[in-house]
Amino acid sequence: MLLGRAGKGDEEAFTLLYRRHQAALYRLALRMSGNAWAAEEIVQDVFMTLMRDPKKYDPARGTLGGFLYGVTRNRVLKHLERSPHREVPLEEKNENGTGPGIVLVDATTPAIQAEKRERIEQVWAAVLDLPSEFREAVVLCELEERSYEEAAQMIGCPIGTIRSRLHRGRALLMARLEILRDSPRPCRRRPAWRSEALLLDEGSGK
Amino acid sequence: MTCNEFEELGLGAERDASLSDTQRAAAAAHAASCSRCEALRDSWEATRLALRSLAQATGTLAAPTRVEMRLRQQFRTQYHTPRARRMALAAAWGLAAGAVLVGAVSWVRWHNHQQKNIALTPNTLASSQASPDENAGDAQTLVADNELSNFTLLPGVLPAETDGSAILIVRMQRGALGALGLPVNEDRAAEWIQVDLLVGSDGLPQAVRLPE
Repeated sequence: MLLGRAGKGDEEAFTLLYRRHQAALYRLALRMSGNAWAAEEIVQDVFMTLMRDPKKYDPARGTLGGFLYGVTRNRVLKHLERSPHREVPLEEKNENGTGPGIVLVDATTPAIQAEKRERIEQVWAAVLDLPSEFREAVVLCELEERSYEEAAQMIGCPIGTIRSRLHRGRALLMARLEILRDSPRPCRRRPAWRSEALLLDEGSGK
Repeated sequence: MTCNEFEELGLGAERDASLSDTQRAAAAAHAASCSRCEALRDSWEATRLALRSLAQATGTLAAPTRVEMRLRQQFRTQYHTPRARRMALAAAWGLAAGAVLVGAVSWVRWHNHQQKNIALTPNTLASSQASPDENAGDAQTLVADNELSNFTLLPGVLPAETDGSAILIVRMQRGALGALGLPVNEDRAAEWIQVDLLVGSDGLPQAVRLPE
């Protein structure tokens, strides 16, 4: 309904539509790319697409949120193909410059806050080290807490594929975090191949 | 359940709705009996906690307001500019149509005025001489009244009764007076003048009066 009104030139309807969906799309783009600027561009691009050609969305094929998620996902994957390795801008300030990009809600003291921030940076760097298909599964199921069915539907693959990707993603993630835990210095991102190599060096299970 | 199966199914058993209760129980039993898989599960739980922290830390993020501003600007450009253009175009067409209408009316009026002038030129004098009855009803033709003073008889015309005569006001070049047998100043022959012709019942001019 909002989309129909927006398609007829109703700016308020378009704004409401944007406000309803932008945050989830932005978080997805940010968690997948690790780059606030890229996430911003991707969200803008997604809504530009919707603005220019609202008929691309077919209500018979699913919800508008699902459609926008699919467009965002495609844009993110294209972005990752173009620039697969980017630094995580964790120190980036908010738009008004008042705070960091990451919000720590329960950090009590500066020391704890710093420690927790470092830990989060490590985790995020490890997530961004994952190959994009594993990363997508981890982001959807572990960060966005979607069910396997939802993730499979969004990506367009069987549940077994999601399970398999999560299995590989978890293994890479744990290996990466084990290495970082032992490292005395703050995390630096390394090429994705290195995590896999480390995992292989550890050997297989029983 | 084997270790490999546990790695694939057991670590995500809580979130995997497609697993049966039996599979979940088997995964839990395997973790309890296998120290390696138990350590693996603990490691994953620690990682999962860290992931939750990351999810929590990034959970309130949203696109900066400048994105909304840019999009709204683009929206206005896309939807409002064409509308304004269409309105401007319609206004331009309206103005053009009005100008054409005014021009057409002006031309028609000018054309009518010109035709009236042509009707009063010497050329029409001949036609009026040939068929005086046709011009009898013309607005420019006045039935002779008693005001026949100041008329000069044309050469060769005998004074006769003025009954049935008419005064015809014509605009002609002064040189055309020569055709009526009147003397003409050659220097002013091209000058346009208005004359009153007294036309007899036979349609021939009998006298002329040059208004001062």
